[in-house]
Amino acid sequence: MKNTILLIALCSTAALAQTPVIQISGANFRPLPVAYPEPMAEASLKKAAAEFDEALSFDLAAAGIFELLDRKGYLADKKEGLTASSIQFNRWADVGAESLVKVQLKQTGQVLAAELRLFSVGPGREELKISESRPVGEVRLLAHKVADALYRHFTREPSPFLSRISFVKKAGSSREVWLADWDGNNAQAIAASGLNMLPSVTPDGNGVAFTSYRRGNPDLWVQTAGGAARALVTGGQMATGIAYSPDGRRIAYALSEGEATQLWVADADGSNARKLTETPYIINSSPSWAPDGKKLAFVSNRGGSPQLYVINADGSGARRLTFQGNYNQTPDWSPRGDLIAFTARDERNAFDLFTLNVESGQVTRLTQDAGNNEEPSFSPNGRLILFTSTRGGGSRLFVMTSDGRQQTPLPVPKGTYQTPDWGPTVKGL
Amino acid sequence: MDGRVAHSALAPRPFPLGKALGWSLGAHVGLVLVVFLGGSLFSGPKVDLDQKPIQARLVRKGKPRDEKLLPRKEELPPPPEKVEAAPPPPTPAAPPPPETAKVAIPGVKPQPAAKPQPQPGETAGDRRKKLFGAFDKLSKQKPEEELEGQEDGDELGDAAQAEGERYFGQINAQVGRHYDVSQTIPEQERLRLKADVTLKISRTGEVLRAELSRPSGNGLFDNAVLLAVKRASPFPPPPEHLRSTLQETGVTLRFTP
Repeated sequence: MKNTILLIALCSTAALAQTPVIQISGANFRPLPVAYPEPMAEASLKKAAAEFDEALSFDLAAAGIFELLDRKGYLADKKEGLTASSIQFNRWADVGAESLVKVQLKQTGQVLAAELRLFSVGPGREELKISESRPVGEVRLLAHKVADALYRHFTREPSPFLSRISFVKKAGSSREVWLADWDGNNAQAIAASGLNMLPSVTPDGNGVAFTSYRRGNPDLWVQTAGGAARALVTGGQMATGIAYSPDGRRIAYALSEGEATQLWVADADGSNARKLTETPYIINSSPSWAPDGKKLAFVSNRGGSPQLYVINADGSGARRLTFQGNYNQTPDWSPRGDLIAFTARDERNAFDLFTLNVESGQVTRLTQDAGNNEEPSFSPNGRLILFTSTRGGGSRLFVMTSDGRQQTPLPVPKGTYQTPDWGPTVKGL
Repeated sequence: MDGRVAHSALAPRPFPLGKALGWSLGAHVGLVLVVFLGGSLFSGPKVDLDQKPIQARLVRKGKPRDEKLLPRKEELPPPPEKVEAAPPPPTPAAPPPPETAKVAIPGVKPQPAAKPQPQPGETAGDRRKKLFGAFDKLSKQKPEEELEGQEDGDELGDAAQAEGERYFGQINAQVGRHYDVSQTIPEQERLRLKADVTLKISRTGEVLRAELSRPSGNGLFDNAVLLAVKRASPFPPPPEHLRSTLQETGVTLRFTP
């Protein structure tokens, strides 16, 4: 029956023998409608419960796989219990919930424990029970841990909730580099004065490498929160766009010399540097590693306008990737390997985000008619993209699914944010 | 016998029965061989069972987009116009009074048109601003954008490119609009998902029967495809040549993510 389809319309004899088949694909993968009432906790834990609630709610809302239903519409009794026998599932079904998440918080000494239960609303059945505990001061981390376990239950892969991001924040004439949790909270200033730009989270997630003018010349530096800065690359007129390889052992960056900018690859400490491109009078910049570490995507104007190119990590086999649009830049290769996200200026002079399918070459638009959207950076699992957007004024940080469907602003203080980078999942949290 | 009689057509002759039976038997065996083996010896029209299925989608009418430009997100076609009940016929009004003919009379100056009276509290600057504001609005009015599609497309189409039987394209488009699947299904599992829904459609387009003829094995996916068909129905009345097939044999909707 493989060849079925519309033969009936073409061949009357076949029509008598076979049922016509219509292929329907292109499913709209929509987030799972989830109800999550406020966590149950004693009155003494009110503040911690509110903080836990805020972190878990954001994780569920921005994860891209859940549709967190508005609490205002909930019909169930607020004092409803934590077990399936005490839950009136029909009331949750009435508000459109397909899954129900209930949480209880308890404090024992200086340890805060969270118990999360997941219920399937249709059959009224408990699907999952998660128990986690952390010191009282780490309530947001506790929420991220619980959310991670829930995410793994559904997707069978690690969540982005235990990763860190870095970004540049404008402060007067300074450009500060910050390191924060994935939701923008728990932000720590890495470089709080001077001109700093284009940060990249270190492979362990505890530091940031970036371009800094701290010695007058734009060089590459690396620094941990509260630690001392260490110079990585100090040669050339300008070193920018540092990117760590997926195994964390190498770095790639762009170095300006004379009228050209070339790509370089070095060991993670800046040693053993070797030139990747050799193109006089041409600018090559913004390297981004493929997940296998064998290729890099980058921007070059060798064809007349900034376009995306790919090159082998040994400098061979450079070839052009984009042929649509005349101003394509800031590539970021998905850890899944299939997509490269980038910023492009379209025919209406708006900067928007797109993905390029590495295999097919197909370009897909992610943002449209919502201010300028730039600087995409994939989450460690490749499901989400962090970026800046000027929608609503200013330049804010947003996170969206890799197909652009769900776009959520990060709950960070007002300000001008630039060039975000999404680091790997932090181990040992 | 007389030699003349022997050569006559009426003269009896011996019949070679055995020979005739032999020839007849040989001919029949040959015929049977031709029937059974002929198919493999002579190449007739072949049906390629591995042929890639045609994806039927209704093409929207519009102007094809320049391939060198970056893609834009597909914009949904405007909703169909509401058909409202015809207004009651207007009651015949009294005929208007005959207008006095305005004929230019030589030597008589026509009265100048009355100047617009300024609103209380309105300054000359305000009036200028209003005037330029109106010009500005006119110049800023966006031209109506033409949706992308194909020149031989259909006004009701919602895809930029497609091919196939028009009616099946309509079913595809209609069901596709409601084809929502939970995003929590892991991607590795999505690759294997395939479910068939057999659908019988009446002459008026009503769904007579919709059953999961081949489940995918994933409860979330199976529920989603049945829900998509339920939400998409009823369909437009099928064309004449498909009516009996769709009502009696039905059509299989093969869902893959």
